[in-house]
Amino acid sequence: MKLIPTLFAAAVLSVSTFPVLAKVAIGEAAPAFSVSDSNGKPRSLAEFKGKTVVLEWTNAECPFVKKHYGSGNMQAQQKEATAAGVVWLSINSGAPGKQGAVSGADADSIVKAGNAGPTAYLLDPEGTVGKTYGAKTTPHMYVIDGQGVLRYMGGIDSIQSDDTADIPKATQYVKQALAELASGKPVSVPVSQPYGCSVKYGS
Amino acid sequence: MVRLLARLLALLGLAIGASAAARAEATSADHLALELVAEHTALVAGAPNWLGLRLAHEPEWHTYWINAGDTGLATKLEWTLPAGWQAGAIDWPAPQRLQIGDLYNFGYSGEIVLPVAVEVPAAAAGSTASLRVLANWLVCKEECIPGKAELSLSLPVVAGGSATGDAAAAGLLRRALAQRPQRLDAANAHYRMDGDSVVVEISGAGLPAAAGLDVFARQPQVLANAPARIEAADGGLRIVAPRSEYFTAAPAQLDLALVRRDGDSVTAWQVTAKPQSAAAATPAAAGTGLTATGVAGGSDIGTWFALLLALLGGAALNLMPCVFPVLSLKALNLVESLHSPAAARRDGLAYLAGTVAGFVALAAALLALRGAGQNLGWGFQMQSPVLVAALAYLMVALGLNLSGAFVLGARLGGVGQSLTEGSGARAAFFTGLLACIVATPCTAPFMGPAVGYALTQPPALALAIFAALGLGLALPIVALSFLPLLARFLPRPGAWMNTFKQLMAWPLYLTAVWLVWVLMRQAGADGTALVLLGLVVLIGALLLHGSFQLRAPSWPRRLATALLLLLALSPLAVLQPQAESTSAQGKLWTAWSAQGLDALRREGKPVLVNMTAAWCITCLANERVALSSEAFARQLQRDGIAYLKGDWTSQDAAITTYLAGFGRNSVPLYVLYPRGGGAPEVLPQLLTPHLVADALARAAAGSSAPPVQRSSP
Repeated sequence: MKLIPTLFAAAVLSVSTFPVLAKVAIGEAAPAFSVSDSNGKPRSLAEFKGKTVVLEWTNAECPFVKKHYGSGNMQAQQKEATAAGVVWLSINSGAPGKQGAVSGADADSIVKAGNAGPTAYLLDPEGTVGKTYGAKTTPHMYVIDGQGVLRYMGGIDSIQSDDTADIPKATQYVKQALAELASGKPVSVPVSQPYGCSVKYGS
Repeated sequence: MVRLLARLLALLGLAIGASAAARAEATSADHLALELVAEHTALVAGAPNWLGLRLAHEPEWHTYWINAGDTGLATKLEWTLPAGWQAGAIDWPAPQRLQIGDLYNFGYSGEIVLPVAVEVPAAAAGSTASLRVLANWLVCKEECIPGKAELSLSLPVVAGGSATGDAAAAGLLRRALAQRPQRLDAANAHYRMDGDSVVVEISGAGLPAAAGLDVFARQPQVLANAPARIEAADGGLRIVAPRSEYFTAAPAQLDLALVRRDGDSVTAWQVTAKPQSAAAATPAAAGTGLTATGVAGGSDIGTWFALLLALLGGAALNLMPCVFPVLSLKALNLVESLHSPAAARRDGLAYLAGTVAGFVALAAALLALRGAGQNLGWGFQMQSPVLVAALAYLMVALGLNLSGAFVLGARLGGVGQSLTEGSGARAAFFTGLLACIVATPCTAPFMGPAVGYALTQPPALALAIFAALGLGLALPIVALSFLPLLARFLPRPGAWMNTFKQLMAWPLYLTAVWLVWVLMRQAGADGTALVLLGLVVLIGALLLHGSFQLRAPSWPRRLATALLLLLALSPLAVLQPQAESTSAQGKLWTAWSAQGLDALRREGKPVLVNMTAAWCITCLANERVALSSEAFARQLQRDGIAYLKGDWTSQDAAITTYLAGFGRNSVPLYVLYPRGGGAPEVLPQLLTPHLVADALARAAAGSSAPPVQRSSP
């Protein structure tokens, strides 16, 4: 009977000492989430069970996001992935009033104007999903396999810069991870340093 | 519009003032003004000169340090200089910690100069130099704006020794120089993984106090960016920081800037921490807790456990081929003391004292040399051709003695016991010493982690671990000498003992052959020929000595023997290590280099790394047994596994560093990197074909150490 209070105390303790930005780990289950997409429809990770899912933290006004959209790199990867049956979720964790924070309608027009091709654009104004995953930068990328296991986290590619000229020279980590997962291989680079602007969380 | 105008004006200024003494082009960008500045109004030829990029940030805006932290990007400079000029890298001043919500960045706000040393050739004196630099930066408040500008500066170049005045930015530049972390030369720093934390321990003189200190790592992806805990510990400093979520591998060195800010004053120190043990160098390895021998042990295998490993390793050394020749001497020793159990026990303990003293002395020498900055490892004495040659001499001399060519110390009567032959405690002690010297080329199972651990510990503890190794080595012999059983199985002392003695000479001759072979790889054919000549003279000298022993002693005879001995030893004085040009052509392997390994890892190829040395018998045995068969070659080829071999026969600092990365300080070391970049697996020090085949198959499939954490999709 003493077990229950003990467990409760442990739970309280672990919650209170947990860092604000949670940690996710490669090879472990990706945390569940449920938020609205740009059309107000609730979307959850569970909904895509059995499919590979890409999470892309984005902010259309961030120069590093502009680097990959202005060059067409991000859109090409989105279209290639979704054509292969991969679910691509762009997520905006910007708090209302901060740079790059959008309404559903804004998000749709950004996607349309940029000729982007995500499966859905998710709005996370509270920053819940972002903080659960420990998303720090825009872009910040995660790949989750069909079993819901995290297989990649980090930068979009291997060259940390804001210069579009670097894109052809860089290894595109998400593209590489998706190709490896599709052919049943382990992901050769499962972790890389994310780079970009900060995710504009509220307090 | 304003920016354009500013640039136009600046260009105009440059055009007008091209001949002026010092004219800089300042640029204003979004939230930032930049300028290329110099310390003095003229550059001094034939010397390094301080220049720098002056950055004036608008309030709340900042640019970044070499490690930008959670977000951001370091400022970059690309110089265009006259031919023969050299610009160094940015000599970064101590960064500030910049917090935005839960994110931490490292950089600069307010006004700062990023200093760069520019080497001006002597021939440039008298000219006016035009220096140009392309600066690339990211300036952020909460939002970020990337920027790029070409800045230039025209300065007269004066001859070396001329007086120059201070430029306008001199004060600012010198303040930045003073804010550079100063290297703590006396500090000794190590870092290790402890669960999800990184622990850095710094000891040595002149360390700053822990209070009010902040720490920044130059290398990203090791420490998480939130403030670390810094505390005083054991007379030094201990830093505990969460491990970066983006940690992939422990770098060979972790450069830390320790920074104290007190109002406007900034003091900073730099220490370089080496990985303490790489048993936990990768998250996967830390998770499985596997080290080479398959024993549980994290980054810190623990003192008692290391002592136990050393003891077991020492005992296992008796089964390794290195110690065989000495064991033959010891067997002789035992046989000769059979008649008296008391003498046998005394000799056993003397032998124990010899092995322990030998290991402790070798370890003390190793620690002292490492303390003096030499990047040496266990078995270092075998990396010296002089010592290898001397050992070959010793083996031949001892062999000749056993063969009966001469008698050691016959003329010294009752006082002199022979050093290593015959009965007597002193002989046993020196046999122990010799056992230890010849045992080091063999690393036994359990020994690698213990030796690697020992060298990261305080000296007293390190020596204790080596003493345990000596104790282990002597243990079986000591046990035998305490068992009277042996006497019952052997015939009574008699003529057979002389035959036995002569037979025991042959393992020693064979050991000499092996040592000469090692020498060939260290000193080349010429050096080896000299040593062989010396050996012939030595044999002559000892035979002569033997024949003189049958006659009355006389000064001319002694002198003749001494001169011959001197002549025999003379090649030792001229032996030089020779860089060996090993041709890897037509072989299964290619020569190891850190860069080569990195390149293969980037391609995601599976790689087998074999760290070996010609004097390492364990290595050679493994290669013969498990790394040269047809099946092994086929498996490498079929699965596209690259095989890299590093040769530690002679000193090699790069290999010593690589070994340290795995918590080792000895060869052999076998590391298998799986396909696709997973955590490397360290194979045991004794290989079997079966074990290697299994490990290669795992690596080819892309999974790491046996209890695989990740379930393959």
